[in-house]
Amino acid sequence: MASVTIRRLSKVFDGGVQALHELDLEVRDGELLVLLGPSGSGKTTVLRCVAGLEEPTTGDVVIGERVVTHAPPAERDVAMVFQTPALYPHLTVRDNIAFPLELRSVADAQIARRVLEAAQRLGLESVLDRLPAQLSEGQRQRAALGRAIVRGPQAFLLDEPLSRLDAPLRIELRGELLALHRALGATMIYVTHDQTEAMTMGQRIAVLHEGRLRQVGTPEDVYQRPADVHVARFIGTPGMNVLQGRGRGTGEEGRVIEAGSLIIPVELSTYEGELQLGIRPEFVGLCAVDKGVGNADVLVVEPLGSETLVRLNSGGQALVARLPGFAEVRVGTRVGVKVDRRRLYLFDAAGAPLA
Amino acid sequence: MSSRLWAAGATAAATVAAVLVLVVVTTAQRRYERAFALRMAATTAAYVAAVTPPPPPPPSPRRVPRGRRRAAVPAPAPPPAPAPQSPAARSYDLPSLLTQAHALRTLPGWSSDVEVYFGTAPLVDATAPPLSPDDLPHLAAGGRWRDGAALVPLNDRAGQEVVGAVAVRPRPVPHGPLPGGLGFAFPAAIVAVGAAATIAFRQHSLRRGGYVGAALLLALAGYLDVWAAARQSTDRWLVDTRRLLTEAATRLPPPRARVAITDLAAMVRDGEIVVGEPAESAPRRVRIDGEQRAVVAVLIGPGRWIELRSVPAEAEAPKWLILLLPGALLGPLAIMALRWAERTPVRSRRETVMAWGFLAPAALHLLMFTVGPAIYAIYLASLANFRALVRDPLTWNSFVTSAAYALYVPISIALALAVALAVHRYRERGGWGRRLVSVAFLLPYVSSVVAIALLWQATYHAGSLGLGRPDWLSNSHTALLALMLVSIWAHVGGQMLVFLGGLDAIPQAYLDAALVDGAGAWRRFWRVTLPLLRPVTWFVFLTGVISALQMFTLVFVVTQGGPFPLHATDVVVHRIYRTAFGPQALGMASALALMLGIVLLIFRWPQLKLVRRQERHA
Repeated sequence: MASVTIRRLSKVFDGGVQALHELDLEVRDGELLVLLGPSGSGKTTVLRCVAGLEEPTTGDVVIGERVVTHAPPAERDVAMVFQTPALYPHLTVRDNIAFPLELRSVADAQIARRVLEAAQRLGLESVLDRLPAQLSEGQRQRAALGRAIVRGPQAFLLDEPLSRLDAPLRIELRGELLALHRALGATMIYVTHDQTEAMTMGQRIAVLHEGRLRQVGTPEDVYQRPADVHVARFIGTPGMNVLQGRGRGTGEEGRVIEAGSLIIPVELSTYEGELQLGIRPEFVGLCAVDKGVGNADVLVVEPLGSETLVRLNSGGQALVARLPGFAEVRVGTRVGVKVDRRRLYLFDAAGAPLA
Repeated sequence: MSSRLWAAGATAAATVAAVLVLVVVTTAQRRYERAFALRMAATTAAYVAAVTPPPPPPPSPRRVPRGRRRAAVPAPAPPPAPAPQSPAARSYDLPSLLTQAHALRTLPGWSSDVEVYFGTAPLVDATAPPLSPDDLPHLAAGGRWRDGAALVPLNDRAGQEVVGAVAVRPRPVPHGPLPGGLGFAFPAAIVAVGAAATIAFRQHSLRRGGYVGAALLLALAGYLDVWAAARQSTDRWLVDTRRLLTEAATRLPPPRARVAITDLAAMVRDGEIVVGEPAESAPRRVRIDGEQRAVVAVLIGPGRWIELRSVPAEAEAPKWLILLLPGALLGPLAIMALRWAERTPVRSRRETVMAWGFLAPAALHLLMFTVGPAIYAIYLASLANFRALVRDPLTWNSFVTSAAYALYVPISIALALAVALAVHRYRERGGWGRRLVSVAFLLPYVSSVVAIALLWQATYHAGSLGLGRPDWLSNSHTALLALMLVSIWAHVGGQMLVFLGGLDAIPQAYLDAALVDGAGAWRRFWRVTLPLLRPVTWFVFLTGVISALQMFTLVFVVTQGGPFPLHATDVVVHRIYRTAFGPQALGMASALALMLGIVLLIFRWPQLKLVRRQERHA
């Protein structure tokens, strides 16, 4: 196993699209790092640059101690699992898993042993002689994992390997992947757009947005202390409410922020003018009209059982409140809004956090 | 629809089908009976004309014109009139005619009743109603069936004028071998209806085959009955004519003491008479010169035997299967349709009916211009033709030539794949180079084969690609190779296009995975690309071989099968063409075409499976 270091990595595609902007990232030896970002954020490109399937325009990729920026994939000794299992349809599961070993001219006896080992780890012993078409979706993705782990590479690159599975299977395989990571002590870069997956799996999460790395940190870091408004919006289901507002003073009562129909008192004394106010849905509450920091109209009520999401329109800005249990809220009514003032996040107009 | 009502409907449909088969069987039996009667009547008329002397005054000095010196073959009709005779001399001696007619009635062993009319008057049974005066001119055009009897004209001795008529009314003869003369068809029909009722009321599946089997059995039983009737009609004619010939041998008027076989042969226009061996009196089937004949031995004098031969009517009996089989299968089909209608909701039922309505013109076209000719070709190509073909070295030469010619396919496929790989790579580096290469390779593919053929013919004649060698086309060893070269040139483009599509369809993930796993370009091609292209390769290979085996234009335009005498480029389709429009028969060409068709099927079958598998993937 080895660490993976990316230095000032940029990638401009033939059409002139710049997918990555000077990315710096270090994945420690044995770490499971999740690359999180919405579609088109460049996270797959990072992975493909590490694998050698794309050549970076500038910058370096270092695996272990070796700079492999321009080395062909075969010389990097990394394994990759794709969104589709990409199992060769004409080969059995056994031959698929054995394929990378055969390419390396490993002795037959050793191939057989290692394939069996990998299969046992993934619960594939009974389907080793089947063709991919005869497997279930989950078995296919497991077999693809098997093809990756069988040769014990320096690092694993996982490109949304679970995104095509249905929810229960995804949760099951997620657990297995974590167990595998612990058992192998492997360096893994795991790309996903699903922030739940990122929160549950990653030791650290790297959030990408529009080809730039926005934040790298533990799941708690990125949730509690988002580096900018994009991260704040992206993490959490639903993400953080971000209201466009304006700070101003009203004399004795201290300063307030006007955001839509809300007027929220804050302790921020130094900032005046356009700003963005972030607040997580769980810290938004409802009350009687005119009893809170402002009023809002109820647009949609989504009862989820353990909680109820209420989507509000507060003076033209969208606001989501997460209420415990079943909330007695009627669509179309006007309600008062409470916020937990200790849980406010303030960003400037460009999205950077204000102290 | 209630299930009982439905079952009743299904049973009714089966009954209709069974009745239809019985109607076909009865019609066939009646037809064969009529054919027998008409034939018998014609023979009888010839007999009467032969054995009845002319009226006595004035007595003819020389013998009437019989005894032409001819081989024992069917005599041409009508017998040529000798010297002009007066109508009276050409007519018959009425008392003799009366005697002969009466003798016919008492002829032992005959299976029909006969009546001879002189003019319109019945001679045998004087109380029978006479013919109407209009009948005789009508009869001149040929025999007809009237009131259960075959009526044929009785010509005068010179065969010039209708002077009377002969009517043969076949006595009913049991048709079938079962008690009461019942055929197989009737009990089979009852069994079929019973089977249909069983599956209908018990709601069994048609797939269990009980009713389908019964329906097929019904068709078979009907066919057996028709076949028996056909055979019987020939046998009856043979037996009755045998009696007539024996009689004629004793009655042919003097002066000739020994009756000449030719005289007898003249009586039997639609059969053959040859000198025969003693044999039993029952008709037999023998094979003469490879053809089935019905024969019976006839004793015409002490120790003199002749053999009466006829084409057996049952040889034509299979044509009735065209009516019997569909008739019998109508029942299962109707039940299938009823089942379908029962379980299909109204709207999809309507849509299906409409769909078939739209399909009908195309289906009809297919039936008339594809299925029909194919069946006709099978009909034309008799076994004898196949035997002749197998013996003909040119047939084998054509198949070997076609097979050798088809060897260009693997070569062109390899080339096409190589070009496709190059173009596919090129595409990744940007656009129009790929297009240019594609067009260059595709041009021959979209050009007319005739144009290509003429172009290359000119090229070869000008000195074989400028190599200054003698014309490859006129050398038996190189002519086929030269054609293969043209075919490779013409086909690489189209095959490349298919490969290009196949390459585009390979998901990039497979190649990426192989790349990360450490496979180089060579291994990626052999281990990933080529196996994933296998269905495409098969498709290109099979269609290529099929079209290679069907090649005609190139040979027709460039070499006409030559250089001769080796027939170095005489491929199968060209041989078919030469056979059909050459000196030999169309039947021979059909047989050859069928042989090619069978070979093509061998290649077509996996291709169809391939297409079906691709549909499943999609």
